[in-house]
Amino acid sequence: MSGLIVRGVEVRVGDRALVSDAAFTTRAGQVTALIGPNGAGKTTLLAALLGLRRLTAGTVEFDGRDFAALPFAERAKLCAYVEQDAGTPERLTVRDVVALGRIPFQSTWRTTLPADDETIVAGALEALNLMNFANRLYHTLSGGEQQRVQMARALAQEPQLLLLDEPTSHLDIEAQLLALDLLQDRARAGCTVLLAMHDLNLAARYADHLVVMKVGRVVAEGPPAEVLTEKLLLDVYGVHATILTAPGSEVPVVIYDRAQSGRRLAKSG
Amino acid sequence: MRAAIILGICLAALAAVPAEAATTYPLTLNNCGMDITVPKSPARVVAIKSTATEMLLSLGLADRIVGIGFQDGPLPDTLAAAGRDLKVLADKVPSSEVVLGTEPDFIYGGWESNFAGDAVGERPMLSRLGIASYVAPAACRTVKPPKLSFDGVFGEIAEIGAIFDVENEAAALVAAQSAALGAVVPDARGLTAVWYSSGTKAPYVGAGNNAPAMIMDALGLANVFGSVDDGWISANWEAVADANPDVFVLVDSAWNSAAQKKKLLAENPVTSRLDAVIHTRYLVIPFPASEAGVRNVPAVVDMARQLKALSFDTAP
Amino acid sequence: MSWPARTIAYLALWALLLASVTIAVTLGPAGISAGDAWGTIFHHLGLRADPPLSPLRDAIVWELRLPRVVAALGVGAGLALAGTVMQVMTRNPLADPYLLGLSSGAALGAVIFLLMGAALLMPLGAFLGSLGALALALLVAALLGGATPSRAILAGICIAALASAATSLLIFWSATGDSYREILNWLLGSLSGTVWSDAALVVVALIVCAPVILLSGRGLDAFAFGEASAASLGIDVARLRWTLLAATALLTGVMVAVGGAIGFVGLVVPHAVRLAVGSRHRVLLPASMLVGAIFMLWSDTVARSLFDPRELPVGIVTALVGAPAFLLILLRYRRIT
Repeated sequence: MSGLIVRGVEVRVGDRALVSDAAFTTRAGQVTALIGPNGAGKTTLLAALLGLRRLTAGTVEFDGRDFAALPFAERAKLCAYVEQDAGTPERLTVRDVVALGRIPFQSTWRTTLPADDETIVAGALEALNLMNFANRLYHTLSGGEQQRVQMARALAQEPQLLLLDEPTSHLDIEAQLLALDLLQDRARAGCTVLLAMHDLNLAARYADHLVVMKVGRVVAEGPPAEVLTEKLLLDVYGVHATILTAPGSEVPVVIYDRAQSGRRLAKSG
Repeated sequence: MRAAIILGICLAALAAVPAEAATTYPLTLNNCGMDITVPKSPARVVAIKSTATEMLLSLGLADRIVGIGFQDGPLPDTLAAAGRDLKVLADKVPSSEVVLGTEPDFIYGGWESNFAGDAVGERPMLSRLGIASYVAPAACRTVKPPKLSFDGVFGEIAEIGAIFDVENEAAALVAAQSAALGAVVPDARGLTAVWYSSGTKAPYVGAGNNAPAMIMDALGLANVFGSVDDGWISANWEAVADANPDVFVLVDSAWNSAAQKKKLLAENPVTSRLDAVIHTRYLVIPFPASEAGVRNVPAVVDMARQLKALSFDTAP
Repeated sequence: MSWPARTIAYLALWALLLASVTIAVTLGPAGISAGDAWGTIFHHLGLRADPPLSPLRDAIVWELRLPRVVAALGVGAGLALAGTVMQVMTRNPLADPYLLGLSSGAALGAVIFLLMGAALLMPLGAFLGSLGALALALLVAALLGGATPSRAILAGICIAALASAATSLLIFWSATGDSYREILNWLLGSLSGTVWSDAALVVVALIVCAPVILLSGRGLDAFAFGEASAASLGIDVARLRWTLLAATALLTGVMVAVGGAIGFVGLVVPHAVRLAVGSRHRVLLPASMLVGAIFMLWSDTVARSLFDPRELPVGIVTALVGAPAFLLILLRYRRIT
């Protein structure tokens, strides 16, 4: 089966397990959203998939291959990653940043982009509507614009697996919808998309599959309509909420009520 | 400064008169930009650097010295006996506390930097403690000293003689050194010389206004770097090679001996081609004699002898 | 930059380098004409039968000026490369071998070997010193919780201060008479007295390290957004980091052993070049190397001939030019973080 299969994954630092016994499956052609409160281990799990953190137990399989054992250079030809708040001290134009996505396919010696790569980079810029920004310096852009550039960079990598850590966090609502539409298109074109996110309603609207994490463990997995329940929100997030269904669809909509503890962080008056 | 030297010379001249000369205390004089007052002939003296120690010993003041520090080399044979039992406070510059521990009433420093806060102590601070401090005039930096001459060296001898009320001894020493110096005939062949003090990568050489210039002048040697208005400078080897001097004056010290310098000059691909190196024409001077003091005149006499022994048959 | 513009820029830099060498070998206290200076060099290269100058003047050109010119070019290129790498690896634009304590560590190692009487092994001491300083800085940064840009710099400043203090202590302890003078001059950075063996050492260090660094351009580009991003672009981050840091430590060690702690070259040159050609390292690295070489050659030429017959430590020249230049660059950037 094509897609990413995670089995019994553990990431241990010292005697602390950041992720334990994580297991879930994402399919090619689907958008999978990784949700859970802060500190649940979402970013650590993504880092482990990238090979930045060693798996202390478990296996990761992608398209039938042992993904965790792939050398960095091979993995990068399959998989792209968009991180949170990516900043750089370097002096790079938007085009330069997007062109970084071609690095896995370039030889050590070349100083110029091959013509094919130029076309791919232009396509990625276009996909994120960045053509007018191509020659702007990356560090002069707003957070939202930078996020779009990072997504374009990931697209330039032409990945079969796309990992994203809260890719919509800096975007205004229109940009969020456009970005998620794009990811959905990619998925429909055969890409496996796994993204960590906080906005449950957007996750419910765009993801085909939800993976819910809590203190390093996967506690639920499945289609949004099945996974997002009032009980789960209380268990995982400690939040009282009402789940409705969007009119004319099966997409669940979360209406938040109050935090479980009932306390307020700051009292006024 | 100049006034002090003139005063010194006058005192020396006075002392030469057979009548008993005596210092009237308190004695006030200006030394290296600072007025110092000596209430009585100092009885507890700390001497920093060889030049200071040797000056005091030459005037028969060994019994006044309570401690010495930062000696640049062994005492010359003529002073070895007198200085045998001196108390060495430190091999380097002794710290303020060590010096004050000897309860001195006078500190005589060969370099002005000996009186830095992290060395013996600032001069005004010492003054407040009732300790007079004296910097060898030729080593003064606060007030730029005039181009050093033997009259300047004799002036320092006379001034120390006045401070310690030993004018007759000072006058006798000056008279003897004048006579010895007068007997040296400067070389008249128009020889050029480089005074190589230390350094390997960049040679530290004698320039135009301190002891090196004075000594080379007395020997009749033209100093290659004599036009630079400074005591010593870091020169570059190309300037030395370009000048191709007839003679090298090598300063001999424990940390950079004349033998080491000869080896370096002979092994370096450029300096080994210099005439003075090819024909091994070197004059050697011990480091303590290479700074203004009582050993300059004996050094001139000795180097004149060395110069006579050199062969210039193959000279250009 | 598009490729024709880049090719033209490279050719211009090479031309400037050659012109600089041509002029530098004719400058010096000894009045030797440009024709005679080049005649001498051609003679030694076997391109001319008879030497145009006397053996002594021949030696002035071939044994004093040329090794120094070669060493200056190499030291400048090496420091610029090391600076560029440090800036990327620590993701801090203020990083250079000087600020990260590598130079101070190298100086300490060199002084220890020098005072032990092993002057010939000074380069080894300098290399061990710079490697030690680097390891210590990374260790401190790790203890602080990971090598982030600011932690690396803080650790580096701490190591630099420690190494400088240890160096001063050693000099204070052991220097006699005026022997400290030369050590201090060398600590300020000086290429005076450079002989062919020094120049050869610099060239060999560059031949060993420069290809490693130049061929890491792709990896350094990928580092623009940090480790995670580099890893996702196919870079084995740990291996790249160690390879480059070892190359940098070796380069810095050799450069310090030959030229002392010459500051600002590793800091200013990469920034100036980055302003001109951008941050793509496959372009930035070779350009920085060339500009570093040219800058260092002129600094040293000024140091040895401006105050003839005195020698000025070249570190003073690079600081006098480098500090204001750095300020200008900061104003152009208007942001440091």
